[in-house]
Amino acid sequence: MSDFALKVENAGKKFTKSLKRSMLYGAVDIMQSALGLTPNTSNLRDDEFWAVNDVSFEIKKGDCFGIIGPNGSGKTTLLKLLNGIFMPDKGKIEINGKIGALIQVGAGFHPLLSGRENIYINGAILGMTKKEIDKKFDEIVEFSEIEEFLDAPVKHYSSGMFVRLGFAIAVHCEPDILLIDEILAVGDRDFSLKCYQKINEIRKSGVSIILVSHNEYIIREQTSKCLYINKGYKRFEGPSDEGITLYIKESLEGSRRKMHIEEQESLQSTNRKCARIIDLKFYDKNKNEITYIETGAELNIQLNCQINKELENIIFGINFYGNSGLMYCANSFYDNIQFEKISPGKISVNINLSEFQIPTDKYLCSAIIADDNASNLIDAKYMDYSLVVGRAKNTRGLLKLTNNWKIIKD
Amino acid sequence: MDKVIYEPNKYLKMGIKIWPQMFSEIIEFRELTWRLFIRNLGAKYKQAALGYFWVIITPFIAIGTFAFLNKAGIVNIGKTDLPYPLFALIGLTIWQLFSSGLNFGCNSLVSAGEMISKINFPRETLVIASIAQAIFDFIVKLVLIVVLFFVYRYIPSWKIIFFPVLILPILVLTIGLSLFLSLLTGVIRDTANAVTLLTTFFMFLTPVLYPIASDKHIFFKLNPLSSLINAPRDLIVYGYIADPMSFIISSVLSILIFLISWRVFHLVETKIPERM
Repeated sequence: MSDFALKVENAGKKFTKSLKRSMLYGAVDIMQSALGLTPNTSNLRDDEFWAVNDVSFEIKKGDCFGIIGPNGSGKTTLLKLLNGIFMPDKGKIEINGKIGALIQVGAGFHPLLSGRENIYINGAILGMTKKEIDKKFDEIVEFSEIEEFLDAPVKHYSSGMFVRLGFAIAVHCEPDILLIDEILAVGDRDFSLKCYQKINEIRKSGVSIILVSHNEYIIREQTSKCLYINKGYKRFEGPSDEGITLYIKESLEGSRRKMHIEEQESLQSTNRKCARIIDLKFYDKNKNEITYIETGAELNIQLNCQINKELENIIFGINFYGNSGLMYCANSFYDNIQFEKISPGKISVNINLSEFQIPTDKYLCSAIIADDNASNLIDAKYMDYSLVVGRAKNTRGLLKLTNNWKIIKD
Repeated sequence: MDKVIYEPNKYLKMGIKIWPQMFSEIIEFRELTWRLFIRNLGAKYKQAALGYFWVIITPFIAIGTFAFLNKAGIVNIGKTDLPYPLFALIGLTIWQLFSSGLNFGCNSLVSAGEMISKINFPRETLVIASIAQAIFDFIVKLVLIVVLFFVYRYIPSWKIIFFPVLILPILVLTIGLSLFLSLLTGVIRDTANAVTLLTTFFMFLTPVLYPIASDKHIFFKLNPLSSLINAPRDLIVYGYIADPMSFIISSVLSILIFLISWRVFHLVETKIPERM
């Protein structure tokens, strides 16, 4: 008796970059197979690359498992391997039970046919018999909320309705393992919520769920374990929180490298001669240097500078640019702090934030030194530093709110 | 609980044991095949003003043309009680089962594109469902032919009840060739164009609109389609098969082509989604 739902051992899948070569290789492969020769698939030919390489992991029954990675990392290819749409070119994939997959909603829909007809066709494609569909029909219609348009051709459906119908059919075909490729983002908030509720519900009945996304929030909220892949290779398998932290760190390093090249040449060198930023460091409450912090915890920032000329009314600022596009800052100008004359030499500016209340995200940080007239920059390091803000352990959501609880009796 | 293992060359390693699996898959997914057929049929005529009427328009036009050719004395089919328009229509009906079946089948995988690369299901169903379309057209035309028997007051031999059996070989050949050609179309799109072109011209090289002329040129004897079309038609026209030997040889050949193509299809269908 095996308790795993799905086991992947050193699976690999390769693709061809050039279309002409792809035709040639396709023809050669077909010929070889047709003649009964076993093609050796584990070597790369010219113009081929591994889209997924040497990936191994295991999923237990009833697990909710996440697969995370940046665009083009091989997530969807891996999912198609699990679904049996692609055969692996090397390695082995073992599956225990019936797989239901939602790789692209509406893939089997015929635009001219009505919602009703499409439910039957799609159900059949996913392996349901007419009897099973008849039994589930009302449930599917109710879940997808398309009753009013049931007999209209699906080409007139909105994209939200499309997703709702596709998801409804897929979850009602009673799979043992459900694969979902970041499609739930299309539906509106109410429907996403409903989908996740449904996912939790079927999970309790022992169905394993595999959720693929590049969105770390979804993976963090919904899954307990995850696989992080990048450029086709497995980077991490284990608890979701850890996997996501690694994913964020690595993608931050990537974007910082990009930024560095474009480093601003605009700063006037005369300004830079007055003062320079050496570096920016983050410490926790115990004065240990950190790159990761839980939201709401105490943060100490140290900005080290070299002052070459006596300066007056100087402004220091640190900006946090989140992945979500929001910016947060700590700036002495807005805090109405006036520094006295600073004489030449090395200094360190210390900022204490007793409750670092910013949302869970990965942040790129900039440090600036400016004149009293804030527009005149003396030195700046744009997005040169990074800090990952993780979820506080004893809460849900992006922030750890400080609460005072009280019950008042009338 | 069913357990599935995916690994490279999985089906190749199974060897001969694959056959029972292939048969059970076809049976298991007959409902899907049916649904896909209904889907194609519904979608094809849904946006046409004349709807299903189109199915019988084509043979009517064909009949008119043949009747005219016959009246003008251009074609002469020799001694038979069967009027020429009927003779030609029967030939054409059987030929079109082959040619449109092949053309539909050939494009079946490519036109399903998105579905193939996003959903896992046996792709044979697509090919068979599209050929079912040709079978549907065929049956409609047969009904029309029966109506024409009354119009022309022609009474065929009672042996006509064996007609469906004699149609099977050409159907098997159509499915066989379609399975292989649909794969090829998936990899090299030129295939579909070539098939359209070849079926158009091959019709004139096959005794479809004229009686068999095997004594005229050796080619007509070697062309397996000749006997596959002539045998069922002979049954209606004469009540017996003129050349049973070549019909049997062609039938065996058709079954072989079918089995080989099916096996090849099953082996490489997993490579098709990558090329969509």
